[in-house]
Amino acid sequence: MSEKQLFPVTVVGSWPRPAYLIQALRKRQSGGTEQEFQAVADRAVIECLNAQEQAGVDIPTDGEQRRDNFYSFVVEKLGGMRLMKVSELMDFMKDRARYEEVLRALDVPAFAIKSPIVVERLTEKNGLAQDEVDFAKKHTSRPLKVPLPGPYMLTRSSWFEGLSNKVYPQPEDLAKDVVRILRKEVLALKAKGVEFIQFDEPILSQIVYGAESTETFMCAALPNRRDPTDELELAVRLMNETVEGMDGVRFGVHVCRGNWSRREEVLLKGNYGPMLPYLMDMNIHQLVLEFATPRAGELEVFKEYKNDKEIGLGVVNPRTDEIEPPAQIVARVKELAKFYDPEKIFLNPDCGFGTFAERNVNTAEIATKKMATIAEAARQLRKEFQGKAAGQ
Amino acid sequence: MTEPKMSEETLNGLHPEKLKGILESLKQPDVLAGVSGPWKSRVVWQGGFHAKAYMRTHAVEMDEPAGLDACDLAASAHEQLLSAMGACMTVGFVLNATKRGVKIHDMEITLEGNFDNILKWAGLDDSGNPGYRGVKAKLFVRADADEATLKELWKLAVEGSPVTQSVIRGTPVTTEFQMV
Repeated sequence: MSEKQLFPVTVVGSWPRPAYLIQALRKRQSGGTEQEFQAVADRAVIECLNAQEQAGVDIPTDGEQRRDNFYSFVVEKLGGMRLMKVSELMDFMKDRARYEEVLRALDVPAFAIKSPIVVERLTEKNGLAQDEVDFAKKHTSRPLKVPLPGPYMLTRSSWFEGLSNKVYPQPEDLAKDVVRILRKEVLALKAKGVEFIQFDEPILSQIVYGAESTETFMCAALPNRRDPTDELELAVRLMNETVEGMDGVRFGVHVCRGNWSRREEVLLKGNYGPMLPYLMDMNIHQLVLEFATPRAGELEVFKEYKNDKEIGLGVVNPRTDEIEPPAQIVARVKELAKFYDPEKIFLNPDCGFGTFAERNVNTAEIATKKMATIAEAARQLRKEFQGKAAGQ
Repeated sequence: MTEPKMSEETLNGLHPEKLKGILESLKQPDVLAGVSGPWKSRVVWQGGFHAKAYMRTHAVEMDEPAGLDACDLAASAHEQLLSAMGACMTVGFVLNATKRGVKIHDMEITLEGNFDNILKWAGLDDSGNPGYRGVKAKLFVRADADEATLKELWKLAVEGSPVTQSVIRGTPVTTEFQMV
């Protein structure tokens, strides 16, 4: 990808795990060796990088193939955390009735949802994603995107009263260590030549859209609800502390409304409007957002923030079998480009294709086709906009 | 007296060999009579809608939701009936799985029911059934066995559950009264 190429095509993070990888993951969870698992994961990462390249993805990820999910994997990367099932957390929950409603709505058992919970002071091991990058860089020459759990999510979903407060009295106390660890990770990833670091902050949608709803929750352990404004301000502060003084790497933040089910009715809905003032206050380059699903609302919400930040525009739904035609994607992008600088538009799916290892929302075959259709749309858009964009 | 040698092997937190012996012993009339009952509970009023049930060396509290002018100190009796059914089916599932050598990793049973006519309980209607119109129970299980085997274990658990079958079969309840 050239530096100035318009409409870069990228993924949000996860790629469907093949059956052999899920089998290896289960084996590791029941006592198999780490070495054994990593060898299997190596193969899956190579396959997923190849699939993305063949589909025309300009900025691939390693598909999060080594991760159980986009945030729980930190439990293996940091000391002081324990991966706990919601069923194990029930004794510590203050608002157990709310969790019960959510579990019923999702029709899932409490043992199926796991969250990394801080039980001791956090200690570092060998970084969060550095091993992933070392391997992926050997197998692709394209710029690499690395998704990391955002500082707010990492703090709020891993701090649990009754378990974490012995070490960190309040979430804000834990946040100091989280930010310190993430900053160190960013520096290390930058040194390894990572071009794009995406912080995942999906629970922000729970904060904004979940208030009136018992439909769903993003992560296992979003603790008792506090004032949404305070939460959003905390999210902005932690993000800005994490990236303060950092340059030479593109920072993005990804916010979606849930990606564990193909049942649209159990996922959150609402436009980005109420959240945008806060996202715009984050000192990051790009907002990686879902816009293929109608649940995300309309693009007009960006009009008042014209060209403030790059937009990673979600143009395909990762949870459907239908392949969106390139013309549909082109039309959607043009809609945004009417009032937004095309040089600031990246194209991606709404979310990952397998956020949770055991809950792929699609097959690798369809994921590849969906990325190929985005790449074809990007080619058409480039033809139309190349040369025109600079004058805008 | 020499203690019988207990197997070190455990499955699902139980000792399969020991369990097999216990189940086998039920064929003896005196053992069977002991296990069959009578099972007892003494429920003592604590004020308001709060009650406490004493069973052997155990005690369980029950109350009603705050919306009913109660203190909501504990789950209500009707919720505990659902829980008792769920717990009883849990026991049955684990028993049958262990007998067959199936390792269970996780299991949960969710139960729910709606009252048929709660106005009868409230004294606002003379007719109808104040009890549950029906109860739905769903098992979630992660275990080392194929789906057909696990379905069979679930069937055995439901059909063999003393509590669930008491509800399903409408066990006769005789009531007495004594003024003190």
